[in-house]
Amino acid sequence: MAGLISRRKFMAGTVASTVGIATTTHLAGRAYSGTEISSPAKPKREPLMEEVMRYKKIDAHAHVGGGHGTPAEVADFAERLGIHKVMISKPMAPGSAGVPSEFRACNDVIYSAMKEFPNRFTGMLTLNPTHKQESMDEIKRCIDRGFVGMKLYNHVKINDPLFYPIIEKFIDLKMIILMHSPIGKARVKYNAREPKNISIPEDFVDAAKRFPEAMFQFAHIGGGIDWEDACKALKDSPNVYVDVSGSNNEGNMIDFALRYIGEDRLLFGCDNGFYQGVGGMIAANLTEVQRKKIFFENYNNILKKSGRNVD
Amino acid sequence: MLIDSNAYVGHWPFRQLKDNTCKGLLERMKKYDIDASVVSNLNGVFYKNTQHANEELYEEIRSNKQFDGRFIPFAVINPIYNGWKDDLEICSTKMGMKGIRLHPLYHGYELSNPFCIELVKMARDKGMVVALSLRLVDPRPSSWLDVEKEWALKDILPIIKAVPDAKYLILNVCNSTALDADEQAVFKNVDLIMDTSGRNTADLGNLLVRFGKEKFAFGTHAPLLDYRTGLLRVESLRENEADAKTKDLLRSGNIKRLLKI
Repeated sequence: MAGLISRRKFMAGTVASTVGIATTTHLAGRAYSGTEISSPAKPKREPLMEEVMRYKKIDAHAHVGGGHGTPAEVADFAERLGIHKVMISKPMAPGSAGVPSEFRACNDVIYSAMKEFPNRFTGMLTLNPTHKQESMDEIKRCIDRGFVGMKLYNHVKINDPLFYPIIEKFIDLKMIILMHSPIGKARVKYNAREPKNISIPEDFVDAAKRFPEAMFQFAHIGGGIDWEDACKALKDSPNVYVDVSGSNNEGNMIDFALRYIGEDRLLFGCDNGFYQGVGGMIAANLTEVQRKKIFFENYNNILKKSGRNVD
Repeated sequence: MLIDSNAYVGHWPFRQLKDNTCKGLLERMKKYDIDASVVSNLNGVFYKNTQHANEELYEEIRSNKQFDGRFIPFAVINPIYNGWKDDLEICSTKMGMKGIRLHPLYHGYELSNPFCIELVKMARDKGMVVALSLRLVDPRPSSWLDVEKEWALKDILPIIKAVPDAKYLILNVCNSTALDADEQAVFKNVDLIMDTSGRNTADLGNLLVRFGKEKFAFGTHAPLLDYRTGLLRVESLRENEADAKTKDLLRSGNIKRLLKI
């Protein structure tokens, strides 16, 4: 019987051996025990806030009011994180009638914030092309007040013929058209709460091809869309810029966007997710040249076309 | 000193991750001067038998002397899968795991499940920290095969109330932190830390006032989220929101105390 072991002993041995563990080989001395690093390592890297503040920044996508924070709150975030210029807008509520009084009121809120923080905020107007003449009048009213572009939500698709005269107007103005983008596509189709007029990446591709002189901005790849799918769709649309804003600061998102969109068409933005916007940019594997372009220069070059550049 | 309270190795089935090995994570830690990372294996979210994921992590940490002292491993334990008590024992005594990760949304049980409560009590008795993430990824752009449900902070109350004397690490606080007065009192009285990776820790200065400066710790949730935002929320606090001593608690002091390291 000497060669036999009991079932109990056999099972005990099996549990240990199947995971390759002898009783003396646990992680003590391998995993962190609190004794190996007895004093703080001497910092080698530039402190994070110095790195953050070193870059001049234009936030290409921000809002004030309507649950996005007061102008003072947004300006405070910008100051905290060294965002020199914030492109603010107040789109009409999704599902609203989108009548002229509504878009004028939204633009008045923005104008008020611009006056309150003239060095920090620059306005993006909103409108509804269903109301053609009122929209054209509103463009003039806002441009005269210092607005430099347009931000739209989902009342009309970006490639709807209703938009054509508005797009042509913005070609003349040499200003950018920022259009909201959807969430989802995760479950084969876009999120059920999205309205039928939401502009999907393929709509941007279509509008950009029809109006090659126009400048479009695809909103927030961190805003809940499948960003890999969106970037692949927009790869060959040279007049569509892509902003990297949104609350969903997934790892590798900007690196991936760089691969498909390129360093000249990506725009830094937060969509009021200020930490994710700045943190994602600092985390991304970018060269110094690329980071400066995306943080500031690309948007400033857009503004230069209408003579509204920051410097 | 910087300790990342929330890092992963392993795969996510719907999206390619970068630097998702101990080697890749260590390279990032070196690049950004992070001294140690609390780490668990994402594969354990999807393996039905999570112990394989714990064994993978254990073996990977043992495989390279460079990993010595840099990783604080947490075991993924599923209390509704047979053998979990043996798994917990092995992870605790043989593998040197300092805590456990629960994934009820993926493993299919409620926090009020008696086996879950039993597991948390056993972890408590072993001095292990119990970690829960309010969500792992944003469900909006994820796959149609992924779970859609995610938690607000108050959704973890059932387990905290059931085992108030355990130690908790609440990760990726991505949704509402709203609590009524009674719930707030429960949180205050529990040995609990939230990491700074989640989007709803944006107002960290006020959260420190509301919950207490001992209740938060730097975390990245990497590689699922980017590697810098979690620290930015700490480092951008102004002097009137967090003095140097408080920032040190957030960088490493609080998590060291919770883990007793």
